[in-house]
Formats: sequence, structure tokens, C-alpha cells
Amino acid sequence: MVGLRAGLRGMTNPQLWIAVVENGCFFALLGLAFYFNLTGAGFFNFGIGAIAMAAAFTGSWLVTEHGLSRPLAGVVGVLGAIAIAVVMELAVVRPVQARGEGELSALVAVGASLFTIIQLSGLFLGHEARSGQPFWSTAPFSVGSARVGSTVVPIVVITAALFTLSYLALQRTRLGRLTRAIGNDTDAARVLGLPINTARLLSFAAAGLIAALAGITFAGRSGVSPDNALHWTITGFLALVIGGTGTVWAPLLGGALLALANVFIPFYFGGDVLAYGLVVVAMLFFAFRPEGVFAPRVRV
Amino acid sequence: MSARLPNVAGVLGLVLLVVWAGSDLYRSSLLVTMLTYALVALGMYVPFVLAGSLSLSYSAYAATGAYAVAIGTAHAGWPLWLGMLVAPPVAAIIAVVLGAATMRLSGFYLGAVTLLFAEAFIQLLGNLGVTGGPSGIVGLPLLSFGGWEPSPQQTVLMAVVLTGVLALALDRLRRSPWGVVIRASREVPIAVDTAGVSVSVLNLVALGAGAAIASLGGALFTTYVGAVNPETFSVNVIFLAVFMPLIGGIGNPWGAVLGAAIVVHLTLNVDSLASSGTLLVSLSVLVILVLFPRGVLGFAGTAARGGTTLLTTVTKRGART
Repeated sequence: MVGLRAGLRGMTNPQLWIAVVENGCFFALLGLAFYFNLTGAGFFNFGIGAIAMAAAFTGSWLVTEHGLSRPLAGVVGVLGAIAIAVVMELAVVRPVQARGEGELSALVAVGASLFTIIQLSGLFLGHEARSGQPFWSTAPFSVGSARVGSTVVPIVVITAALFTLSYLALQRTRLGRLTRAIGNDTDAARVLGLPINTARLLSFAAAGLIAALAGITFAGRSGVSPDNALHWTITGFLALVIGGTGTVWAPLLGGALLALANVFIPFYFGGDVLAYGLVVVAMLFFAFRPEGVFAPRVRV
Repeated sequence: MSARLPNVAGVLGLVLLVVWAGSDLYRSSLLVTMLTYALVALGMYVPFVLAGSLSLSYSAYAATGAYAVAIGTAHAGWPLWLGMLVAPPVAAIIAVVLGAATMRLSGFYLGAVTLLFAEAFIQLLGNLGVTGGPSGIVGLPLLSFGGWEPSPQQTVLMAVVLTGVLALALDRLRRSPWGVVIRASREVPIAVDTAGVSVSVLNLVALGAGAAIASLGGALFTTYVGAVNPETFSVNVIFLAVFMPLIGGIGNPWGAVLGAAIVVHLTLNVDSLASSGTLLVSLSVLVILVLFPRGVLGFAGTAARGGTTLLTTVTKRGART
């Protein structure tokens, strides 16, 4: 009875659910960035976490060290993230994939890119954590006994807007259908003469934009440092793999499930258990349901 | 390039490094760091280059070696060398168990799971009492064989011999029938399976062997330094383990050793580079991946062949005129 009561105490704690919403939105946005790269280029861009970190870290550095306004620093961070994503595609991923050496080379290439972004950020902006400087925040307010922080509403609104726009862009526009076609079967698209390179470039740019908005907004709550890059990458990857690749909304579910684990596992079992639990969850999902909850439907 | 040339050049390079270090303690410690990285990179070479399977748990395997030495000595009273003997089988067992659990995974999925495992493993080491928690284990005794305590120079020499022997052995292994089969399994796994050789078993053996070699790197480092803590095996170790064979050249195990030498030189030995050494390493990897996918050794081989062809052409033209 005491155990049940203790269990309910966590599940009925509104503050924890607000954390679930905030984390879930962030994870889902990172997953969405992965989704764009997977859809348009047919591979997982492990640089996503580093791009999100670089945008947030640069924005924070510009505000705290150079006195730029938050919106301006945010714009610079977002544009920088898009530029990094585009350069990554043009200078690294495309030449490596063009050699046709398979997935391993692409994985190493994005891994090296991720490491390079971490090192560049650390060298020029410092290795120490910085407070986030979101371009949009609201005054904190209370809902019952729970306190809603300054970044909760912005990240929820941004998540809703980006998912809706992504859905419309990918499902309702000619460019979106083209991108999906290329991601589904690049060889067939090449035979048909479709503009593969343009679609790939756009998918990288879109992923960079989404990752940057996610990183800048979430850093307002958690702070940011170069060390975040790898964790954010793995989190986004897990959100996509758990949610699935069958629909653009899937990372939202993946992000939500991951956020539940991220908030309630430490609450009930302690922070260290989360790391061990994630390994098990990842192993089980990757091994038995690698297509995620929402699998792509194939017409036969 | 003759098949034996990298072996001869590799051994010669190690001899030159020993001469360079001499009795200078700072240089000796740099050389030990380089040999530690070389052993981790040689371990990575087996599954990554030979089997085409990217496991990102190599910081965990190196840590296994380091803690096997430290725990055996600090808690069980073993001599350091016994820990070095125990480390490889322990690391191999961990790698085989993880490999069996992730047998259905490859590429990005395998990379993500093994990375999460490595992080969880290092976190576990920082939480256990037997490992000394976050501060680790310090104050280990000097290396001793039945009363004989080798000097730091002799310890370095033994580590050089160990690294050289393993590089030579891996080169032999690469060209052996087993090496040919496992390299074939990387390119055409279905064909190898159809021929009656289990690709899964090949991969597990490669993972076990690689982890065992990498654990020797961690064991060597702990033996020389006399201490260990979880911070030693950061995420950087994982990245560098992948990068070193690529930088040196994936065509030969000596490429991993050369890659380790280049990484340690750039990150620790060039004062003017200071903290930008690691950035230079990662940029080098990107350049190598895009422009010289066979690494420094591959580029040197191509350049040597080009030079020979040019020399032959010039000589022939000279003879005609």
C-alpha cells in the first residue's frame, strides 16, 4: 500500500509531467531533424546533436560575450546551423557516399563531423557550460501546484508548428513528395532523372533548421556545452527509431516515450539507472522493432 | 608496395621511437600513451576493418583492462602482470556477450547501442565501490616479476615489443585463410554464409579478439601510471579508436599504430597546437575520408608506386635518346 502510494505520488506530480512535455518536445524535434535527413538522403545524420548544440552554444556566446540581442543571436545560430548542415552534406557525406562504400563509411564520416563540430565549438567558444539564451521565452507561471518555466510554452508551440509545417511540406507539396521518393529509392529516382542532389541538400538544410530551433529553445532550460552534442544525437536517434519512420508524426511519439523514461526512471530508480535502462530499451527496440512503432506502409 | 615493407617499416619506426624516448621520462610517458592508443586502435582494427562491424564500445574494453589490473592489485593483492593476463579474456567475454545481444544489428543501430553501452559501462565504473567510484584507484605498486622490478625504460621496451608483435600477428592474420574469409564476409556476407561459414560466429570472434587487444591498452596505461579513474576513458577515446586506423591507413594493421603516433604527436607533443591538436586530428580524418580513404600508408604506397613508374619512364626515355 505504501509502495503504491509512493508510485502514485510520482505519476500524479504535475511538475514531472511538465518536464515530460518539455523534454518530449525537445527529443521529438531532434527526432524530426533525423527524419528529414532519413527521408531526403536515406541515412541517419549523427551530426544532428552537434548541430543543435553548436546553434545553442553560439547563440549563448554571442549574447553573453558580445551583448547581441537574443533574437539576433538566435538568427545567427540558426543560419550557422543550416550552413554547417549544408557543408556537411556537400564536403563530407556526399563525396564519401559517392564512392559507394556502403553505410559504414557514411557513419564514420558523420561521426568525424560530429567530433569536429564539438572540437571547433570547444576551441573557439570554450568547453564550459553556458546558460541558454532562447530567442523567445515567456514569463514563468503556475498551474495548480506546478510551475511552468519560461521555455515550456515556446518549445510546445515551436514543436507543434514545426511538425505541422513538416507534415504539410512533405505530404502536400511537390518538393516534399519528390524528397520522399528520393529517400525511398535513390537509384530509381536517379534513373528517372529526379534532382537528387537538390532534394538531399534541402533535407540537410531543413534538418539543420529544426535541430537549431530545438537546441536554442531547450538550452534555455538546461544550459548547453559541447558535451551535450553526443547525448542529443543519441536522444534524437532513439526518438526516431522508437517512434518509427512511417509518418512524420512518429518522432513525436518516440520523443514522448523517451521523455517518460527520462523523467520517471530517475524519479523511481535513481539517475544512474537511466543510463543502463536506455541500453536495454535501445537493444530491445533495435533488435525486435527496428522500424519503430509507426512502420512505413508498403503497397504490394 | 611489397607485403613485407609495412612490417619492416613498422618495426623500424618502433625502434626509432624507443631511441627517441631514451631515458627521458616525459618522452617515455608520451610513448606509453601512444602505445596505449595503438593497442586500442589495433583492437578496433579487427572488427572495424577486417569484419566491417563498427562497435563503439572500445573505451569500455580499454577500461576493462585498466580496472582488471587495478582491482586485482588493489583488492586481491595480485602482481600487476597477472591483471594484464586476466584482462584480455574478461574483455573478450564482455564483447562476445554484447556482440551476441546485438547480433541482429549493424551500421547506425549497432553504433548507437554500443555507444550507449560504453557510456553506461563507464558510469557503472564510477558508481561501484570496488572500482573506487569517481576517484578511481590510485597508488598501485610498480611492475614486478618475482622480485625483479623493470625500470621505466624496460617497461616501455616491453610495451613496444607487445605492440609490435600484435601488429605483426594481425598482419599475418589478415592475410591468413581466416583473414580472407572474414574480409570476404564484410563484402559479401551471404556468399560466405552460403559457403558454410557462419558470419555471426566470425563477427563474435572478431569482436572478442579486438576487445582483448584493446584491454591490453588500458592495462598498459594503468600499469605505467599506477592509477586509474573513469575519466580516463571518455568519449574521446571512442572517437580516436575509430580515427586512428583511418588516419594511418586501413590497408594494414601498422596503419593503426601509425595513426596512434600521429594522434599523440598532434594532441600532446606539439606545444604550438595546444588544445587545437584534437581539432586538427578530427579535421585530418575528414580530409582523409574524402580525399585519401586509404590513409597515410595508402597514400605513401600510391606515391611510391607513382614515383617508381615515373622513374622507370624517365629511365626508358633516357635510354632511347
